[in-house]
Amino acid sequence: MNPNEVGTGQNDWNRREFLRGASFGTLMMLMGGVPLEAQTNTPAGEPATTSYHTYGPPVSIGLIGCGVWGKEILLTLATLPNAPVVAICDNYAAAMRKVKDAAPKATPYDDYKKLLADKAVQAVIVATPTHLHREIVEAALAAGKHVYCEVPLAANSEESLAIARAAKAAVKLNFQSGLQVRSDKQKHWLVAFIRGGAVGKTIQARSQWHKKTSWRRPAASPEREAALNWRLSSKTSPGLLGEIGIHQLDLMRWYLNARPTAVSGFGGIVNYSDGRDVADTTQSIVEFPNGVNLSYDISLASSFDSDYDMIYGTDSTVMMRGNKAWMFKENDAPVVGWEVYARKDLFYNETGIALVADASKQKAMLNKATATDANFTDSALHYALVSFVENSHLTTTTVADHLDSGFDLSDLPAALAKVAPSRRPAAGYVEGYEATVLALKANEAVIKGRKIELTKDLFTI
Amino acid sequence: MFTPAPLVSFRSLAGAALLVGLGAATCQAADTVKYTTKFGSKVGITGTSTIHEWAMDGQIIQGFLEIPAGVILDPAQAGLAGAADGKVAAKVETMIPVRSLKSTHTGMDDVMQQAMNAENFPKIQFFLSEMTLHGTHAAGKPIEFDTKGELVVNGTTNKIAMPVSIEAADKGKLKVIGKTTVKMTDYKVKPPAPKIGLGFVTTGDEVKVSFEWLIAPPAAAK
Repeated sequence: MNPNEVGTGQNDWNRREFLRGASFGTLMMLMGGVPLEAQTNTPAGEPATTSYHTYGPPVSIGLIGCGVWGKEILLTLATLPNAPVVAICDNYAAAMRKVKDAAPKATPYDDYKKLLADKAVQAVIVATPTHLHREIVEAALAAGKHVYCEVPLAANSEESLAIARAAKAAVKLNFQSGLQVRSDKQKHWLVAFIRGGAVGKTIQARSQWHKKTSWRRPAASPEREAALNWRLSSKTSPGLLGEIGIHQLDLMRWYLNARPTAVSGFGGIVNYSDGRDVADTTQSIVEFPNGVNLSYDISLASSFDSDYDMIYGTDSTVMMRGNKAWMFKENDAPVVGWEVYARKDLFYNETGIALVADASKQKAMLNKATATDANFTDSALHYALVSFVENSHLTTTTVADHLDSGFDLSDLPAALAKVAPSRRPAAGYVEGYEATVLALKANEAVIKGRKIELTKDLFTI
Repeated sequence: MFTPAPLVSFRSLAGAALLVGLGAATCQAADTVKYTTKFGSKVGITGTSTIHEWAMDGQIIQGFLEIPAGVILDPAQAGLAGAADGKVAAKVETMIPVRSLKSTHTGMDDVMQQAMNAENFPKIQFFLSEMTLHGTHAAGKPIEFDTKGELVVNGTTNKIAMPVSIEAADKGKLKVIGKTTVKMTDYKVKPPAPKIGLGFVTTGDEVKVSFEWLIAPPAAAK
């Protein structure tokens, strides 16, 4: 399981009561930010002349790994109309009991091989500890199951590459890596906004993830302690940058539309000297082409300012927090027009303009009057699982139609490529592998305390 | 929404099997040659709506074209050998999985599949009844036909007429090209009016259907 605390749309920052509603709006107002929000696509209150659901046929799901994150996945799947969970698996009985209510109709298994042998399972979600992914993913693909694998794909480069290659070879199957923000509608809208030149020339980026937590989970026995706290041992853990940082590192790699060239790292155990050998606080510098650097801090020892991502440009700076975003314009930046109507929030000494999809239209005016939160309120995990289900079905039907037509298997990649525009946005094995490589190298840079060049061959699958 | 389907269905005729042209087609039953579908076909459906045109594309056309062995479908040759009066006794049965039609607009796939009642009628079918050479065929030009047949959409069958041309493709294959216009309501399909974006979109009843069906005789390359 991958309890990746980021990207759920429910980050710490969001949960703080004093920051909710007027409090945060007031805070932002005081600092001058413009919230960036995407609009919903189904306005309420108007009758349709014809009525259709916009989700596809069901895809039966099996979940492997029923820990904290596995339960979050089950609860999210329960909100989808076409993702019945028919099987769950964990080798720890107590974990199974804790998620039982979240998937009451699922057949329980204590061995993933038994779950994979269950013909009712069409697709599996692998949410086990990272270092256990490889064997399960390879077996699942061999069993003909679509696979959603949490990220990082594995705890080391060799196993990550093996997973990516297995996914690449499984042309009849849909493989999705758990970079859930890649499916997030708000983030997709922001990508277009940022790449459209709204920030001018990008000069640097900055991300942060701060949370006061030990990362240690209470266990009933020494054996269980080792299994449960795999994140705290360098033998099994890819560290903070692997387990948490991968999402924000990938977000910036995606937004900056460039592959990083080097990463430097610093950090250590500054607060939790409890036997762990994994850093609890890290600082990283990720170098991108054209002199653009990302500075990234993670800490389990301080919660100050929670988590956010910022891209600084010559015309404006965009700040993203959870599923919200704001733009802070430079005084000499050109006036686009729509921001005149947009909601303004203050953040420290800056005025932020709420970024809302379709903001160039009068929608901005409507949001100014009504919006206090982002329009896309579903979590990134929700969007990611929707994509997984829909894309798995698309893959299944495309493969079936292709083979039923008597076409050669060698033409299947071309057939799948033709239906690719119908796929929902999702990170595949390429994105998952590249993000894993970056996160693992960033973690390695922290451990070694030096700069690591990210050569092209590192990303080759 | 509804589709096309390639045409051509000739009643069997005849005799001797002098197979020439187009890559040495082999005999299916002693007196006919059966061309089967190959990867690379295209289906296109376009329509109108209150906001913009919409389109759906597909790449699957299943089925076959069977012609008398004496008929030579070779665009390189003038005329139509084996069919002196221009009538070709062909048999065509084609099917297009409704689910294989993909929209250029997010969310439309599911809407169109529901509108076409794909759950109960998952395939669009076409059965050729007549195929007649249109005018004279000049060597090197596509062979043009006037065709008639039955189009089945949403479990509803209607007779349609459609001009079709056949041209040579690579590796001994043939490309059957056609287009026609149909009304959704003729097939008991209610033009969708889904909620999209901020409002409702009403689609026009009439849609244009086009296709390029790639087929090959048994001996032709993949």
